[in-house]
Amino acid sequence: MRASRYTIFAYASMIGVPVLMLILAAATIAGKAAYSGAASILLAIALIVFGISGVVEIFWHGAYPGSQRKIIAGEDIRTRARPVKKYGKEISFVLLRFNSLTKRFDRHTYTTYANDRTTVLGAILDIKDYQDSTISVRCNCRMGICGSCGMVVNGKPVLACETNVLASAKYDTIEVSPMLGHPLLKDMVTDFDDFFERHRSVDPSLYRKDQKEKYAAREEYAQSKAELSKFLPYSYCIMCGLCLDACPVVNSNPNFIGPQALSQVYRYHADSRDQKGKRRLFEADTMDGVWGCEFSGSCSKACPKGVDPASAIQMLKGELMKDIADKK
Amino acid sequence: MEVLDYDVVILGSGIAGLTAAIHASRLGKGNLKIAVVSKLHVMRSHSVAAEGGISGVLYPQANQDSKELHAYDTVKGSDYLADQDAVERLVNGAPDEIKFFDHLGVPWNRREKGMIDQRPFGGMSVPRTAFAADKTGFFMMRSLYDELTSHKDIDIFNEHFATNLIRKGNRIYGIVAFDLSNENVKAFRSKSIVIATGGASRIYSFTTNSYSNTGDGTAMAFRAGLPIKDMEFVQFHPTALIPSGILITEAARGEGGYLKNSEGERFMEKYAKSKMELAPRDIVSRAIISEIKAGRGMRDHESGLYYVYLDLRHLDPEKIDEKLPMIKEITIKMINLDPSKSQIPIRPAAHFTMGGIHTNIDGAVMLDASRPMVGTWAAGECACVSVHGSNRLGSNSLSQCSVWGRIAGRSAADFALKSGNAADSGSFFAAAEEEESDIHKIIDARGSTSPYELRDSLYELMEEHMYVYRNIRGMAIARKGISALRNKFKDIYIEDKGKAFNTNLREAFEIHNLLDIAWIVSEGAFRRHESRGAHVVAEYPKRDDARWLKHTIAIKSAAGIKFSYSKVKITKWQPEERKY
Repeated sequence: MRASRYTIFAYASMIGVPVLMLILAAATIAGKAAYSGAASILLAIALIVFGISGVVEIFWHGAYPGSQRKIIAGEDIRTRARPVKKYGKEISFVLLRFNSLTKRFDRHTYTTYANDRTTVLGAILDIKDYQDSTISVRCNCRMGICGSCGMVVNGKPVLACETNVLASAKYDTIEVSPMLGHPLLKDMVTDFDDFFERHRSVDPSLYRKDQKEKYAAREEYAQSKAELSKFLPYSYCIMCGLCLDACPVVNSNPNFIGPQALSQVYRYHADSRDQKGKRRLFEADTMDGVWGCEFSGSCSKACPKGVDPASAIQMLKGELMKDIADKK
Repeated sequence: MEVLDYDVVILGSGIAGLTAAIHASRLGKGNLKIAVVSKLHVMRSHSVAAEGGISGVLYPQANQDSKELHAYDTVKGSDYLADQDAVERLVNGAPDEIKFFDHLGVPWNRREKGMIDQRPFGGMSVPRTAFAADKTGFFMMRSLYDELTSHKDIDIFNEHFATNLIRKGNRIYGIVAFDLSNENVKAFRSKSIVIATGGASRIYSFTTNSYSNTGDGTAMAFRAGLPIKDMEFVQFHPTALIPSGILITEAARGEGGYLKNSEGERFMEKYAKSKMELAPRDIVSRAIISEIKAGRGMRDHESGLYYVYLDLRHLDPEKIDEKLPMIKEITIKMINLDPSKSQIPIRPAAHFTMGGIHTNIDGAVMLDASRPMVGTWAAGECACVSVHGSNRLGSNSLSQCSVWGRIAGRSAADFALKSGNAADSGSFFAAAEEEESDIHKIIDARGSTSPYELRDSLYELMEEHMYVYRNIRGMAIARKGISALRNKFKDIYIEDKGKAFNTNLREAFEIHNLLDIAWIVSEGAFRRHESRGAHVVAEYPKRDDARWLKHTIAIKSAAGIKFSYSKVKITKWQPEERKY
């Protein structure tokens, strides 16, 4: 805490108060009422000054945002946001790295520092750059929108770039492994070919009867806010693969198309601009389509973007049931 | 080595690349073999991080807008360095692109009667930025990707890192790339090629860009001896989050956010009275740094970064949820701060590369300052048409990517259909083999320098000397330092010797590209003796139209870089003083 003109009052009263108390005690013992009275009044004043200066110190220079951050004219160019020992906490990172040659996991432990804004991805990349360059992770945007860095951190399937180290550390330890529901390539990196094929198989694109008009795009398709809100939450899918990793059905029956693809079926089905109509529904009307879902809800729990694939699948089931009822 | 034959090869998978692929496929009607080669999964390119929106005059009557006004704003924003015929093509094409994306399924924010909503943006006279919350780029990418799945004639090569172009005379005949998953080298031979590899702001450490934005295509073109234009102009986005540099969209100010210094004062009043926070990015970035230099900034304890505040506390929380949900998500998840309760700490960060591969107005890559190559196009941030001149206006980039993505894709397909013939296999194979052995040289590198150390030294040079304010002495230090780093690169080592997903190897190639790009940036900047748009030199504080109203063209030569200059095309708007 830096010295200010308020702190001078604080120091003065810190010395003044005990001195005055001594005078007060001596005067009281000696029975000199006038002296002890004057000392009491001075002591009261000193205590008030001490109190005020303390309050000022705390609220003006302590808790006020940016207070300990001394502002100097000119620029400091230290722009690397690397957590350092001085401001960080020591954290052990246990990486369960998939070895592509032996097809086994190797357990490696690294030590690094984390502050309250360090992310798991940031820490792993720091370890990679300065301790062990052979670590492989897939990452790109580091802001939770490209969907590259899905992995399992302390048992939870998450995006590493938006997972805080200190908030998820247990006993100052973070254990990271790749998503096990996907084929593994190396370390934290998984193979997405199968995942993309599932997505592709449900024909996830806006269908129009007049293809020529679709591509010529002379006018926008009018859409109300209410129509937009029907499919908007399902269009947030960043294809990170975490829901597929979490789904107990896909993990036991690989033929089940999975929550990601089905949520995209509903996303286009619910879009007022789409003209594929019930055909889209019927394509998902199979035992490995919507009916494969056992509604464990783990996909929605895992989704980092709040897509809620489980509800999308139930909506599809509902629409199909309604269709049967309508026919009867 | 595997040789793959294609009619059209598209290198890069951002909005420009995928748009080009779709339009090439449309024009080819299934008769063309098209390949999209990306070093990432194609839907994960940096375009997903575009937040604010895409510009275009949709409703001239309702918004009291016109294409002329859009063009004028763009030209003025560029500090008169933009080619005005190209700007006119941009503003004419942009509205149809927005509608095209509507037809692909982008969930645009809507007004009453189902119209597409538009918001105010920096340097734009009226609201003309169409948006889908603050995830516009993401939604455009997802729609393009979903559309791509229905085009069976497009082959997608995920995670293939291209190392060099194969050039013979006035033609690029193909590329050499290695498959990241197993390190197999593949040569793509094609009749025509579109380069769409994006920007290069990763030459700075504090940047809004993804890890992938290392200017690979630009560096490859440079090494192939192609002209690179206007690289000294690097845009700094005023509002990047402390400490990571994650982008806080300009739309936050478009929707009414304030910039405040440590004294709680809306300082933009002093720098751009009429536009305030919505002045163009170069002006706002300089204003922030001026405030910090005058001692009215804050300092972040842990990272040592100075910053000012972006204040959204006075905005209706419902408005934040509807129009800026990602900003709220990011600040809460990354720094545990609720934007409706506290001010957001921000500072300028490298954001956009105005320069790039020299192309003509049709997106064709140029052979030298005036003649175009055959069968070679570039689109998006890696290309410099030049519509952005020395400073881009926010939301013009997405329109540029889609307008020139379409032009390049269609031209490449048309060329492949009509007159395209691929290189004869003998000479192509020889060139590809040579490149393959170069790749193996890097794989086997056993020097003594870590590539990451070189990258960190580069960061230091760029952040210190090539930032918002530049001076001659600093730029001289930077160019000398970068040359030294380029020499040191010969002595690197690759620690990871494995074949599966070797990111250590990929990053070494990327750092090589970064060093090349930084070299062009610093040399070009050192030679431009004026202050224009994003390039501000202390010794030459004024714009100098008499001497410097021209584009910088850099071509690699045996001795280093050969610089020449080309004229700016001026049609309707004569240069005048730029005031906001």
